Amino acid sequence: MKRHSKEILSLESLIIGYVSGKNENALLPPLTACANSGELIAVIGRNGIGKSTLLRTLTGLQPPLGGEIFYNARNIRDYSRMELAQKVGYISTEIVKVSNMRVYDLVALGRFPHTNWIGKIEPNDHEIILDALKKTSMESFGRKFVSELSDGERQKSMIARILAQDTDIMIMDEPTAFLDVAGKYDILHLMHLLSRNSDKTIIFSTHDLQMAISQSDKIWLMLDNKLIEGAPEDLMMAGAFDHLFDSSSVLFNSDDGTFSFRSDARGAIYIEGEGNKRRWTEKAVNRAGFTVAKEKTFPYITLPSESNLCWQLSGNTSLQEFSSVYELILYLSNESVRLI
Amino acid sequence: MKTEIKKKLSIELMSGRNTRLIFSGLLLLVLIFFILDILFGSVSIKASDVIRAIFTSTGSNFETIVLRFRLPKAVTALTVGVALSLSGLQMQTVFRNPMAGPYVLGISSGASLGVAFVILGFSSHISPDSINGLGNWILVAASWVGAGAVMMLIMVISSRVKDIMTILILGIMLSSGISAIVIIMQYFSNETMLKAYVLWTMGSLGNLTSGQLNVLLISVSAGVILSLFSSKMLNALLLGENYAGSIGLNVRFARIVIFICTSILAGSVTAFCGPIGFIGIAVPHIARILFKTSDHKILIPGTLLIGGTVMLMSDIISQLPGSENVLPVNAITSLIGIPVVIWVILRNRKYSGPF
Repeated sequence: MKRHSKEILSLESLIIGYVSGKNENALLPPLTACANSGELIAVIGRNGIGKSTLLRTLTGLQPPLGGEIFYNARNIRDYSRMELAQKVGYISTEIVKVSNMRVYDLVALGRFPHTNWIGKIEPNDHEIILDALKKTSMESFGRKFVSELSDGERQKSMIARILAQDTDIMIMDEPTAFLDVAGKYDILHLMHLLSRNSDKTIIFSTHDLQMAISQSDKIWLMLDNKLIEGAPEDLMMAGAFDHLFDSSSVLFNSDDGTFSFRSDARGAIYIEGEGNKRRWTEKAVNRAGFTVAKEKTFPYITLPSESNLCWQLSGNTSLQEFSSVYELILYLSNESVRLI
Repeated sequence: MKTEIKKKLSIELMSGRNTRLIFSGLLLLVLIFFILDILFGSVSIKASDVIRAIFTSTGSNFETIVLRFRLPKAVTALTVGVALSLSGLQMQTVFRNPMAGPYVLGISSGASLGVAFVILGFSSHISPDSINGLGNWILVAASWVGAGAVMMLIMVISSRVKDIMTILILGIMLSSGISAIVIIMQYFSNETMLKAYVLWTMGSLGNLTSGQLNVLLISVSAGVILSLFSSKMLNALLLGENYAGSIGLNVRFARIVIFICTSILAGSVTAFCGPIGFIGIAVPHIARILFKTSDHKILIPGTLLIGGTVMLMSDIISQLPGSENVLPVNAITSLIGIPVVIWVILRNRKYSGPF
């Protein structure tokens, strides 16, 4: 299904930022990155680093302060607004609240660069709109009003709108920001399908690092001094994500792509046993501020087994039993507990 | 061929199949009210006499009344209703503010400032009734400039302040400020000029000379045609500037076209009929309720027809059929428009987003 991917977008020493008065406020040093067709690219970075500005600049809504953007090896400056609208679609974080607008009409607006002077929907356009609704599984919502939709449904109709716009590239600013977990994965799954089956290049910003790592083909990691691009795994192995949290107390675990809070270890506990129970108990013990010891020493935890239904915490001189991880952690979390 | 028809049907289904029916109904309403407006007046004339006066030239008094007064007045009412409503619709979309309208945002005030400059400032010896030919165009142009200037000011403000009610209050401030300037101008002007100006502010559909009616008709027609060209842009602007830009709209160009269009529509009416309130803000909402759509391809003609109907209705009511008194039409439009406006405010209390 997937064609041999070719480079569709490249940024060369791109400087993004705002012009206020006579001053040009560049947000970041020059950025260089590229995107191939059919790729799902996550843009990651701390709040205020310029993710939205980068996406707006790529959409042509904001002029770059310097450097170049190339779509299909053609400079963005050489595209007319209409031409660009047939190349790049955009979803911002702004929620569209228009009363009396039907989903069909919203999606039909995606045909804007393709219709005549009055915006007449021809049978051909109609077919494309229905197809866009179908691809986003919104076909039964056409007659519904946008104001009646849930957040997830509204986001899907916004995506349907870009599909109707028929662009190679979709740029989405935090498309999952205001959705619940199910909604998040629903949208992400849709984005995944579109990049795979319809060969759309999707560039989206997100704060959900785990989601980005597990689903995207490529990550543009925006740091204060540079933009690092690569497969999530490449970045992970290079330890690139550690820089994200330099200033805060969050620790990124590059072994499995999870987070933990940086805190002074209160000691080590050995855990006896294997499997599912061990993994979750380990997590809980970490959360309580302990590390897991590699060799068996006191104190140690014995996991529940067929003969014993409790978590046993064995100290040098003591043995305590807990009926759940919750109780175990409740005990461990108590500051006064000294296990050495 | 068959599938082609099927597709067309499917499109119509999506955009509401009642649309055509509602349009026919509205067209009929406009026609009925237009006829009623000619039939009723302070002098009671039998319907048969009215018809005779229109189609035969008997030279009777009735003929003079019908052809010289009632017919031009009905045409004026229709034109004013169309122009004000359309400018209101455009403003509501451009400002993404359901409370926008030429009157409440001070556009009409801006236009009246333009008119005040002409009447109180330049025409020191002539009253507006005697302004003819080029004079009418000067009056109307001054009105456009005044309306456009206030539009620009509101635009600049609303790009900084997003809250609908704040902009509304600023609009009232602007109107008050302009009134203050006009009052100062009145203070320094002579009695004839003052009288001419005060008469103008009362707002009237019946005082237009045929020359003025021509200027009004030409200007409003130009505005209506321009607004038809702007319907695609208005649809895109519904989503806000960013989205509009991303789907290929040149936002700045669209703004300029719509500004010109609105200034012409609201300015021309204000120039000859004085400030007429609440039609511009209320009628677009009636159109939205009726057609249940946000598509300007439907809303523009819909607003146009409803605006004409409401204005003709207001004119009929203002004549108090059967009595010899005539009320200021401004009072009637306010009484019709304000309930709609209050309803919109109450409905929008939940959020302060557009519409």
